[in-house]
Amino acid sequence: MKLSTEILVIGAGATGLGIAWDACLRGYKVIVLEQGDLAEGTSGRYHGLLHSGARYAVSDPASAADCAAENAILRQVVSPCIEDTGGVFLVLPGDPPEYPDRWQRACQSASVPVEEIPPSRILQREPALPHGMERAFHVKDAALDSFQLLHSLARSIEEAGGQVRLRHAGLRFLRHRSRVTGVEVQDRRTGRTLRIESELIVNAAGPWAGRVASRAGLRLPLALSRGTMIAFAGRPVQTVVNRCTFPGDGDIVVPIGTVAVLGTTDEPVSAPDHTQIETDEVQALVRLGRVLLPDIDQHRLLRAWVGIRPLYRPPGGRSSQTRSLPRAHYILDHDALHGVPGLISVLGGKLTTYRRMAEQTVDVAASQLGARRPCQTSSTSLRGARHHPYHRLPDRLARLDRGPAKGPHEIVCECELVTRHDIHDALERAPTTDLDDLRRGLRLGMGPCQAAFCAYRAADIVRKSMPQAPADGGLIPFLEERWRGIRALAWGPMLRQVELNQRITFELLGAAAPKTGPS
Amino acid sequence: MKQLVVVGAGLAGLYASCLAARRGSDVTLLTSGRGGLGLSSGRIEVWSRGPPDRAPSEAPRGHPYRRVSASDLRAAVDEFRDMMTEQGLPYEQRPGANLLLPTALGALRAAALTPGSQSLSRIPPEAQLGVAGVEGFRDFSAPLAAAGKLGRRPVRVIPDLPPPSPPGHRDLYSTDLATQFDSREDLEEVAQRWSVALRGVEALLMPAVLGWRHHAKVHHTLEQHLGIPIVEIPTLPPSVPGLRLERALHLAAFAAGVDYVEGSRAVGRVAGRSRGRRADAVAAFTPGGMRVYPAQAVILATGGALHGGWRLNSEGEGRESVFGLPLAHQADGGEWTAPQMASPQPYSYFGLRVDRDLRPLAADGTPAFENVFAAGGILAGADRTRDGSRQGIDLATAYRAVRAALE
Repeated sequence: MKLSTEILVIGAGATGLGIAWDACLRGYKVIVLEQGDLAEGTSGRYHGLLHSGARYAVSDPASAADCAAENAILRQVVSPCIEDTGGVFLVLPGDPPEYPDRWQRACQSASVPVEEIPPSRILQREPALPHGMERAFHVKDAALDSFQLLHSLARSIEEAGGQVRLRHAGLRFLRHRSRVTGVEVQDRRTGRTLRIESELIVNAAGPWAGRVASRAGLRLPLALSRGTMIAFAGRPVQTVVNRCTFPGDGDIVVPIGTVAVLGTTDEPVSAPDHTQIETDEVQALVRLGRVLLPDIDQHRLLRAWVGIRPLYRPPGGRSSQTRSLPRAHYILDHDALHGVPGLISVLGGKLTTYRRMAEQTVDVAASQLGARRPCQTSSTSLRGARHHPYHRLPDRLARLDRGPAKGPHEIVCECELVTRHDIHDALERAPTTDLDDLRRGLRLGMGPCQAAFCAYRAADIVRKSMPQAPADGGLIPFLEERWRGIRALAWGPMLRQVELNQRITFELLGAAAPKTGPS
Repeated sequence: MKQLVVVGAGLAGLYASCLAARRGSDVTLLTSGRGGLGLSSGRIEVWSRGPPDRAPSEAPRGHPYRRVSASDLRAAVDEFRDMMTEQGLPYEQRPGANLLLPTALGALRAAALTPGSQSLSRIPPEAQLGVAGVEGFRDFSAPLAAAGKLGRRPVRVIPDLPPPSPPGHRDLYSTDLATQFDSREDLEEVAQRWSVALRGVEALLMPAVLGWRHHAKVHHTLEQHLGIPIVEIPTLPPSVPGLRLERALHLAAFAAGVDYVEGSRAVGRVAGRSRGRRADAVAAFTPGGMRVYPAQAVILATGGALHGGWRLNSEGEGRESVFGLPLAHQADGGEWTAPQMASPQPYSYFGLRVDRDLRPLAADGTPAFENVFAAGGILAGADRTRDGSRQGIDLATAYRAVRAALE
C-alpha cells in the first residue's frame, strides 16, 4: 500500500503525538507511525508529575521556566487529564541549610510560583509525611495522566484528519540522493508492507530515536537513562511531595488516579529496551522513600516499572552521568547538521513540556514546508480529552451506579471497574488478541490484584469474540508481563498477592508450569 | 486429657484439631481469619512427581515429607478419607497412582484423591465430551477449559447454560450459583432447559458450582435428569469444592468437640506462665480483648506466605508470625522470586525448619520449644505448587504433629 503526506512523525509518545496535533491544527497533512501501542514507551512509563518547574529551578533554570509556563497552559487545554493536587517541597533535618533560600531565589527568577507555608499546616493535611520537617513550600505541581493524554491526542488527531498508525515496525527510509523522501514499514498485524512518501519526516521516537536515525546513517547525541518507579496501592499522600534538595533518587511522590508513585532512579543504559526491573534498585528506592514517607513499610506497594529517558548529550557531556544532563529538549535539523534534508530529530525534553517541544518542532517544519496558520495548541482544548475520560475510577463507579450491573455490564476487572461491555467495545474499536493492549486502553489488570482474576475473564471474552486468538486467550503472556512489575515488590502484603496469583494460576486454573527447574 | 491449642483453620489446622479431639484431647482452635480452603480445588494433591505413596522416599532433602514415614502418610490419607465419607463428602482414589483431573485452562492436573464430582473415571474413553460455562458467570470459561484438549480427548464447546435462577442485580459468583442450586426444589426443570444444548453430549464438564450444603443431592439429581455424567471443574476463587471441604472439616471438628475461636490472632506465649523452652499458654487478640489459652502442647498451622504464617520485610528478612521463630530461607541479600512467573519460586521453600517430631528449630538448631509443633504450609522445603504436594503435606504433617503432641 502507498500513502503520501506532508509530515510523517515517527513515534506516538507525547512528543510525536504533540507534534502531529500541532501540525494538524496548522493545516498540514499528518501521519504518525508507532512501532508498538499507545503509551507502551517512555510516555506511558512516567511518574505522572506535571512539573511546576520548581524541581529544576537550581539545576536547569531554562527547563524550570519552560515547565512553569507549560504547566499554566496545560491546565487550560488538557484539563480533564490533570488532577490539581498541588505540590510541596520539604526541608528535612540534615538537609543542606543554605539550599532552600538559593532554590527559592532561583524559582523567582524562573517565574516559578512558590509560597512558604508552616510545616504544621502541611502535616494537618498530610499526616504520612515526616514529623520534624524544618521548612515547607507550596508549588503548582499536579498529576497528569499520560495514558489519557495520549489517547486524547490520538483521538483529536484522527478527528482533525490525521492518521495514527500503531504497530508498524521494520522501518526503512526511502532516499532520493541525500534527501529522505519517505519510509517503508511493516504492519505487524497484517504483515503487509506500507510505503509512505512524505515531504518531511520527524523522528520523535524517544529512546529509540538513535536507532531510527541510524537507519538514515546518522548518529544522534543521545544518552539513555533508566528511571525506576514504584506505585503504591492507594494514596498515602494527596499532594505531590518533593524534597527541597538537589534532584536525586527517590525524592518525589506523585498521587495520581488510584495510586501514588514514588520516583525515580537515574541509571545510564545503552539500549532503549532495558526496562527489566532490578530488585536491588527497587529496594534502594524504598530505602530512600522512607525519608519522605517514614511508614512506607505499612503501605502496600503495587508495582514497579522502568522508563527510559531519551536525554540530549551536549558536546563533551558524559553519558555515564545522566542525572546531571539537562532535561531540556533539542531539535536537530539533519539538513543543516549533516546535509540530509527531509529529516528532523527531536531529543530530550519532559512530558510537561511536550506541547512546547511540538510547537518549536512544527515551527522548524513550517520554515521548510511553507508556513500556514500559526500554532494553536496553547489555546485549543483537546477534543478527545473532553469526550473520553475513561480512566477515572469515580466516573466508572458513577456509570455503574446509574445502570444495573447485569447483561453485558458484568464487571470483569473489579479493581479498575472494567466491564464486559468495555472490553467488547475496545475489541470493536481496535481488534487485538493481546490482553496487554486492553490493559493500556482500559486499565484492565492494573489494580491491586494485578490481573489475578480479570486476566482469565478477559481471556474468555477475547477467545469468544476473536477467532484468531491463541488457545489460552493470551492469558499466560499477560500474566507474565504483570509478574515483571510485582516480583521485585514481593514482601509484606505484596508477597501474599504474589503467592495468591501463583495459587490461582497454577493450582486452581492448572496452567502448565515447566516440569522441572532450578530449586 | 491433654490441653492442645491449634493455631490456624486451613486444612492442616482443622485436620489436626479433628484428629486430636477424636483421640481424646481438649482442643482449642485459634484462627484470625477464615483459613485458605476457599482457594482450594478440594482435591488432595500428595505428590505429582511420582506415585503418591512414594512421596516420603522421593522427596528431596529438607522436604517436609522427609519428616514423615510412608505409613504415616498412608494412615493420614486413610483417616481423612474416612472422616470425609462420614461427613457425606466421599473421595475417590486409585491405589498407588495419581488421578488426572481437568482444569479450567484445559490441562490435566494430578491429584491422589478427588471429590467424586471432579473425577473422569466414570466417563467411558470414547464418550463425546462437552464443556459449558454458565451465562453471566465470569469465573469459568468453556473455550479456555477446552483449550488444552484434556489430554487429546476431543471436547465440544457448548454455549453457556442458563443459571438456575434469573439474573439478579449484581454479578454472579461461584457461591451465588452454588446457593441457587442448593435452594432449587425443581432441578428437573433446570435440566430440561439444558437438555437441548446438550444433545449428542455423552458427558458434561462444567464449573464446580453444583451446590454447597446439598452438593451430593444436586449433582446426583442433575445427572439423573440429564442422563449423563457431570464432571465439575474448579473455578476462580471462591472455589466451591474447597468450601465444601471446609464445611465438612468444620462439621467434623464440631462433632469431635473442638473449641473453635474465630477472630483470634495468636501472638505468642505468655510471660510468667511459660517456663524455659515451653509454651504453657498462648496469648491471642480476640474480639473481646487479649485472652490467654493454657496449653500443654501447641500446633502451629498458620500457613505460608499467603496466609501469614511468616512475613518478609523489604530487605528480605523474615520471621514466623506467632512466636517470632527464625525462618529457613535463602534470601540472604539475593532474590526470592524468579524472573518468570511460571518458573519455580525460591520463596516457596521458605518456612520453619523442624526436628523429627516437627518441632520448629531455633537459630542454634535445637527445638525452640519442647511442646510446640508445626504442620502444613508453614514448613520449609517444598514447592507445593509444582510438586503437587500441598494437601498431602498438610494431612501427613498434621497427623505426625498430633502424634508427637499427644505423646
